[in-house]
Amino acid sequence: MRGAATIAKTAPSRLRSLRWRLLGAVCAAVLLLWLLTGWLSYTQAQHEAEELMDGNLAQTGRLLLAILHDNEDDLRELAGRLATVRGAADNIYEPPLEFQIGRGDGSILARSEAAPNLPVLGVAGYSDILRKDASWRVLNVASGDGRFRVQVAQSIDLRDRAALEVASQTVLPLAALSPVLILLIYLSVLRALRPLDRLAGEVAARSPDNLAALPDQDVPTEALPLVGAINRLFQRVTRTLDNERRFTADAAHELRTPLAALKVHTQVARLCREDAQRDHALQQIECGVDRATRLVEQLLRLARLDPLSALPAPGAVDLHALVEGAIDAVRQANPGASQHITHSLPADTPEVAGDADLLQIALRNLLDNALRYTPPQAAIEVTLEDDGDTLHLAVQDNGPGVAAETLARLGERFFRGGDSKVEGSGLGLAIVARIMALHGGRLTLTNRPQAGFRAALCGLRRAAAR
Amino acid sequence: MRILLVEDDPLLGDGIRAGLSLAGYAADWVRNGEQALAALASHQYDACVLDLGLPGKDGIAVLQEMRRRGDRSPVLVLTARDTQADKIGGLDAGADDYLTKPFDLAELQARIRALLRRAGGQAQPVLSHRDVTLDPASKRVTCAGQDVALSAREFALLQELMRHPQHIRSRSQLEESLYAWGEEAGSNTVEVYVHHLRKKLGADFIRTVRGLGYQLGEGR
Repeated sequence: MRGAATIAKTAPSRLRSLRWRLLGAVCAAVLLLWLLTGWLSYTQAQHEAEELMDGNLAQTGRLLLAILHDNEDDLRELAGRLATVRGAADNIYEPPLEFQIGRGDGSILARSEAAPNLPVLGVAGYSDILRKDASWRVLNVASGDGRFRVQVAQSIDLRDRAALEVASQTVLPLAALSPVLILLIYLSVLRALRPLDRLAGEVAARSPDNLAALPDQDVPTEALPLVGAINRLFQRVTRTLDNERRFTADAAHELRTPLAALKVHTQVARLCREDAQRDHALQQIECGVDRATRLVEQLLRLARLDPLSALPAPGAVDLHALVEGAIDAVRQANPGASQHITHSLPADTPEVAGDADLLQIALRNLLDNALRYTPPQAAIEVTLEDDGDTLHLAVQDNGPGVAAETLARLGERFFRGGDSKVEGSGLGLAIVARIMALHGGRLTLTNRPQAGFRAALCGLRRAAAR
Repeated sequence: MRILLVEDDPLLGDGIRAGLSLAGYAADWVRNGEQALAALASHQYDACVLDLGLPGKDGIAVLQEMRRRGDRSPVLVLTARDTQADKIGGLDAGADDYLTKPFDLAELQARIRALLRRAGGQAQPVLSHRDVTLDPASKRVTCAGQDVALSAREFALLQELMRHPQHIRSRSQLEESLYAWGEEAGSNTVEVYVHHLRKKLGADFIRTVRGLGYQLGEGR
């Protein structure tokens, strides 16, 4: 939880900010679009300007050709007059028109002052003349009888300038408006990301032990999976913390109660005046020490098993011998027990892969439990089931069984179900469960359908054939 | 005085019961919540020592049920949990005091004395009537400044009477406060103890109220 707080405190890099990345991407796209529009408008305008001006050239050329006649003086005068109306170089919409008028034999009759120096007998039609000093668009036309030639020309530079002018008129307003566009984009992005900001703020402002679920209304669809995942995580953490608290409480109870008993009996022994009472107190102290010793042993056993990731001494275990050994040991340890312990294992039971000592401890713990929690004369039976794949070794009895809410918690460390008159550390089944985990199996605890309880070492694997 | 002990652990329960008996209380010991509620319903206890970590119905549930029934007997809670939340939870559920395991027997006895004193509405730790004083903590009784030697039962009977000097206590009430379950009271034991006390403290210190029981004699 503390980690989350530090992440929230570090300044977010702009590169990693969703807002800045979105803004950058949208602005770049707008700029690109703007440049593309400019270029397209320019080429389009250039094309249009060419067609328009080519039309002009053709019209002018044919007009000149129509008014030509043989009077050469008139022609010279015409040239002079045309020169005054040929347009100005600084007006791109009325570009200067250069011309040459000649005879069918190529001799020049008249020409404008700045007309390019080209032979009038060139190929009829349009042509581009590209020179270092100036480039020209040229049209050559001839009269129907072939007596006259007219050549009209226009500067290509001027045409390009006209095209540029048209294009810039399309693009410039766009460019002028782009700051407004970018501002609008910025505001929209800001607005769209506000729910995310709110969510982040809420998470950051939480106290570390507030594990309540985050609200999922008003959350953008894209962030819903995240909120869902966080809420599931919160739930898991809550469950873990609850288990931890319960474990601590159970452990405190199991560890402190024997100490409290020892202390109280010690003080009783010191205070009382009657010998019988003192003897009783001392006897109880001895019981308490025995109990504390067993508890410490169980704790140490569990502590040794916990860090293991594999069996310490794997081998082939003869289940028949294991079961008979465990039953004998439990009978010897509980000479007063009146329950009947039997087993129904055939003599030719397959061997299983595992650690014989650990399996013996597991089975003895189950048998011990069965003795403790069944009434006198109850029948306790060890059975073996073979599901073809794995083997299940079970201890079942015909006692009262276990209440459902207790059953769910039975494997928890320090949890003790059932009658508290029965002594125990609450660690026995946890040890069995750990041993089974090391064997790749599991401990299953169930109430039998008829009556009684069944604890099974499930998933034991056959030993590899020798 | 009769105290209900609710403790699931056989060893600890046995020890506390012995400790309470040494302090002169009649202690009834039950092992779980259901039995505790049944005992509380059938007897009037002067105090209850309640372990919170009971199997089945836990101590807090017993406490809440008890208070819901209107039972105002003082309750001292024993708990192995020592977090703030556990202590607050216990007190808020209706406990009057708590002790964390492991605890000192002397402290348990002192806390019970304090609870009984408060429940009886008295501020003074030492009870006194006429020229007789009784100190529950040191188990000392004096008469006119002189120590008087009393047996545990005599002391308990005197304490019971001195807690409420005006009250008339019936023979069976006194018997109940002297004997826990399983301790057999003879048919005339209360009369015997009253007789002893009169010999030691003066014949008129305890008055017999015909047909009703016993009461302390009026002040001189």
